[in-house]
Amino acid sequence: MTKKSFTLLLSSLLTLSMLSACGGNNNKEAAATKDPGASTGTNTTATTDPATAEPEKPTEIKIMLPLNTTDTPPDTIKNEVEKLTNTKLTYQFFPADTYEEKLNSSFATGSLPQVTYLKNQTTFLQMKEAIKDGQFWEIGPLLSEFPNLNKLKPEILNNTKVDGKLYTLYIGRPLARQGIIYRKDWADKLGLKAPANTEELFAMAQAFTEKDPDGNGKKDTIGVVDRNELVYGAFKTVSSWFGTPNNWAEKDGQLAPEFTFPQYIDTMDFFRKLREGGYMNQDFAATSKTDAVNMFTSGKAGLYIGGSMQDIDSLNKDLIKNVPDAVLDTHSMVAGPDGKFAQWMIPGYNNVVLFPKSAVKDEAELKKILKFFDAMMTPEVANLMYWGIEGTHYTVVDGKAKATDNKELIEREVKGFKDSVIGEYETNGMYQSLNVLPGRIHAEELVLENVKYGVADPTAALDSATYTSKGVELQQIIADATYKYMYGQLDKAGFEKEVENWKSRGGAKIIEEYNAAYKK
Amino acid sequence: MPKKYKSSSELKKRLWRNKLLYVMLIPGVLYFIIFKYLPMYGLIISFQDYKPYQGITGSEWVGMKHFSRLFTEPDFLNILANTLILFGMNILIYFPIPIILALMLNELRGTFFKRFFQTLVYLPHFMSWVIVVSISFVMVTMDGGIINELLAYFGFAKINFLLSPGWFRPMYILQVIWREAGWGTIIYLASIAAIDPGLYEASRMDGAGRLRQVWHITLPAIRGVIITLFILKIGSVLDLGFEHVYLLLNSMNREVAEIIDTYVYTAGLRQGQFSYSTAIGFFKSIVGLIMVMTVNKVSKKIGEEGVY
Repeated sequence: MTKKSFTLLLSSLLTLSMLSACGGNNNKEAAATKDPGASTGTNTTATTDPATAEPEKPTEIKIMLPLNTTDTPPDTIKNEVEKLTNTKLTYQFFPADTYEEKLNSSFATGSLPQVTYLKNQTTFLQMKEAIKDGQFWEIGPLLSEFPNLNKLKPEILNNTKVDGKLYTLYIGRPLARQGIIYRKDWADKLGLKAPANTEELFAMAQAFTEKDPDGNGKKDTIGVVDRNELVYGAFKTVSSWFGTPNNWAEKDGQLAPEFTFPQYIDTMDFFRKLREGGYMNQDFAATSKTDAVNMFTSGKAGLYIGGSMQDIDSLNKDLIKNVPDAVLDTHSMVAGPDGKFAQWMIPGYNNVVLFPKSAVKDEAELKKILKFFDAMMTPEVANLMYWGIEGTHYTVVDGKAKATDNKELIEREVKGFKDSVIGEYETNGMYQSLNVLPGRIHAEELVLENVKYGVADPTAALDSATYTSKGVELQQIIADATYKYMYGQLDKAGFEKEVENWKSRGGAKIIEEYNAAYKK
Repeated sequence: MPKKYKSSSELKKRLWRNKLLYVMLIPGVLYFIIFKYLPMYGLIISFQDYKPYQGITGSEWVGMKHFSRLFTEPDFLNILANTLILFGMNILIYFPIPIILALMLNELRGTFFKRFFQTLVYLPHFMSWVIVVSISFVMVTMDGGIINELLAYFGFAKINFLLSPGWFRPMYILQVIWREAGWGTIIYLASIAAIDPGLYEASRMDGAGRLRQVWHITLPAIRGVIITLFILKIGSVLDLGFEHVYLLLNSMNREVAEIIDTYVYTAGLRQGQFSYSTAIGFFKSIVGLIMVMTVNKVSKKIGEEGVY
């Protein structure tokens, strides 16, 4: 009998592991192919758009966009949006992790839907060639017909132009929201203040490692936790504090890339010393974002640098599960060795929307789709998509939106749409968030403060054909060399040799092209 | 070998007699036509500057441009060498292990233990590479990984397994063995099961011990299977499983870890150079085809059966 039950156990284990193995590979696929449109039960024809007098047939729109959560959201929000905008929407969500692949393969097979969200600035740069090739609709001349779209900020629209023409709508983000999220309880215990300059930052990392801030008598904590990402990890943020330019800056009257500046080397030295001293995670070049966040929220690390300071809410939520009396705070005013403040800035958007000509047949159809986006720029629709349904997902307190405490509900039903709202609260009139966490309130102040010391990327609106076709590939050379330097495997001469390598393989041409465009 | 038929009517008669078999063949043939042969049409784009909007018919022809770019790429030789080294390790280190494991499992007496261990060793096959790599990450990380903690406990220096180029290949092959070896035994165990027990009985009568039986009966009996599997394995010479290597790849070990598959991914899908990456894929398939045909021929020369 025992033998039988044991085989049963084994075989059920086997089936289970098979299922989970299949599931592991397929759930993304399944989530992606689930047709959200199929389950719409609402009778959209019955509802009339309050703005228009005569009932119009709802516009059918297919939208492809990246999904930053694990599951495709249900139709709750979508149904409401359809009612408000007189549309019939089909959302195709694809996991953000593999979105580039999806984007490129859909593009290669000519199957992009009418509305295509890109993933970030990098994917936008890669699309530039195709945009110049005339594969997407130009929308610049039409904007004036749409009163709400017309409110989008011209300076940010300008940053998204290709050859001086506008093809995209942007999803707005604060210009500079990066900084430090740190363990205030540890700092208080050790008598440390928020670091005023890079030296104090180093000292804090050192103290968090060596002075047993969690008080368990063991040397089991580290200062900084970082991950395998030079831009949105700690590196770029710290490098801007050191005074490194934002990607490009003028040097001897010519635009030159950031890694040719001495401050870039200083930053690498900073991280090299941090790593050698054991004040940061040793495997940061191979650490994923998830692992880095886990290290921080498990109470092992004290400083989380880079990324958005607004992430403090979610970090705090997970941290206090593990360490109930932990206190977090944010900080971003870290002066460089010369005593000056600086923060790198994004060009004001984190993603854009394109309208492929292969899916949008004519200008009339394009206008119908733009009408939907115009409606999305009204407070009513923007709030719905960004915050969810009032009373269910959020409540309004003091004219600000207070998200429900049920974070999982928001994550599941709202987050997918939240990331697709174009513009920002100044332009689409949606509620600002009501923050309760002191660290988050502090973060919002710092975001505004950051802009005062913001450093813009002078190439944001410039074009380089070589950069568009080979830039990302070439950047890998620099990224590899940067990591090797920080791990002590390259010295300054070795790093400079890699920069020469970058130049010889196309970098020199990029410099030339950017300078030519800059002079214009 | 098919016989020559005297007349077409005889052929028709034979076809008709086995009609059910031919009907059963249809789905298989359709599968290969639709999923294997039709997509070959897409290889055309490796000779074009493919523009999705213009399609295959509208894109500009550029001849061998993408192939010559591949062969003149400064990193190409390095990437090819990395690919071949990993492949060599697969053949030399991994390939014999399922055979040895199968022979060992076969010597286990008692069906319960045999089944138990067999299941135990092939279960890892059902874990995705993401899971396998994550498990090893947790084990070997410098920041509290169990292996490094043990090393430190016994007074050795910690080793940076994840970021040193020297450890990439050992980690790679160990993970392959851990995940695949048990699964690979299945086909060998099946062919061992098919051996006539009379042979073993006779050899025992002649006084042969366990090892002699393995050497003179079991191994020769499964030789054909080993060679067939070997030829098939050779066919995938430049095809090492993208996912696994990509997960292990990072800035610090790129010089040994970048293989053709990961390069195709970065150049093709991440950067949208469709024609270029198709050209690389094309190159890979041709190498695989040549290898299979060569090995097959050699195997026939030395008196073994090939795969075709």
